[in-house]
Amino acid sequence: MNPRMASAVVLAAFPLCAVAFGPSDYIYLPGVTYGEHEIDFKSGAWKQKSGENPLSASSIGYGYGVTQRWFTELYSKYERPGGETTHFDAWEWENKFQLTETGEYPVDTGLIVELERPKDRSEGYEVRFGPLFQTEMGKVQVNGNLLFERHYRADAAPPLQLGYQWQVKYRWQPKLELGFQGLGELGQWNHWDSAEERSHRIGPAIFGKLALGNRQAIRYNAAWLVGASTNAPSHNLRLQVEYEF
Amino acid sequence: MHRLLLCLTLLASLAFAADLEYTLIIRDHRFEPAEIRIPAGKKIKLLVDNQDATAEEFESHELNREKVVPGKSKLPVFIGPLAPGRYPFYGDFHQQTATGVIIAE
Repeated sequence: MNPRMASAVVLAAFPLCAVAFGPSDYIYLPGVTYGEHEIDFKSGAWKQKSGENPLSASSIGYGYGVTQRWFTELYSKYERPGGETTHFDAWEWENKFQLTETGEYPVDTGLIVELERPKDRSEGYEVRFGPLFQTEMGKVQVNGNLLFERHYRADAAPPLQLGYQWQVKYRWQPKLELGFQGLGELGQWNHWDSAEERSHRIGPAIFGKLALGNRQAIRYNAAWLVGASTNAPSHNLRLQVEYEF
Repeated sequence: MHRLLLCLTLLASLAFAADLEYTLIIRDHRFEPAEIRIPAGKKIKLLVDNQDATAEEFESHELNREKVVPGKSKLPVFIGPLAPGRYPFYGDFHQQTATGVIIAE
């Protein structure tokens, strides 16, 4: 088995190896583009199997590639629980570090570190961090991430939680790429929940980049994720649109 | 947790360095040479030498690469291994003039 094939197998195995993902969460990529400005809009909604507690969430942020290895972004996040109006939910500061040069090794690596300050101060501060991985085989790109999450200064702070993300995409054309995405929450990082309590979502996704000229572009990705475990939302539609300049 | 450590160890053990190096110069917002022939099936290190005073972005959907190279600086772009074929690239900041192609054969 060649190194890239082996890397893809390892990345795909992550779900076999809980973070509180929201309906608008996206798949982190390890690469950074130096000097790039970005206005980032994310939105998503999900519905539980019982039909109760639907939730939609969205965020808008501004990001900048500070160096060849560091991208930082500040978000304002909003949510709308079923039957309520949309309200401000939290500030989030995301920092991404590219650890290896793209393509230098069979697997590209990065690190994500996020700090969230919820409006509800009883939730304290949320810290999320984890390694990001990416590999490619011809026109197929595979990503796999492990995410750890913990709340500090919260009224009720569960132990460090573990989640995962992955995606596979066929880079068909710049404007339209096709693939699949998956997200999951496993429970406490060193003592996973029972299989029934874990949450796994998987579904088809589309990706693309629309060049606007003069160093500007719109990049998008969207997915329809279906619950693959009893504890997961039955349906989750999510979308990310970035204006790069 | 043991499975995670096993995954990370396996990933680390797969690492290897590129062994072929080519230089691509950016001058007057053009790539020189505009055509680079490389062996198929080999990973290469493309050293992009931007001799202009302004930044340029080496970009190619076919190669799955985007790299901003500041003015008066050199940066590596790792490519491949590629199947035989033509892989166009361009400078995103000067798309009218900065174009080129990598031919894997």
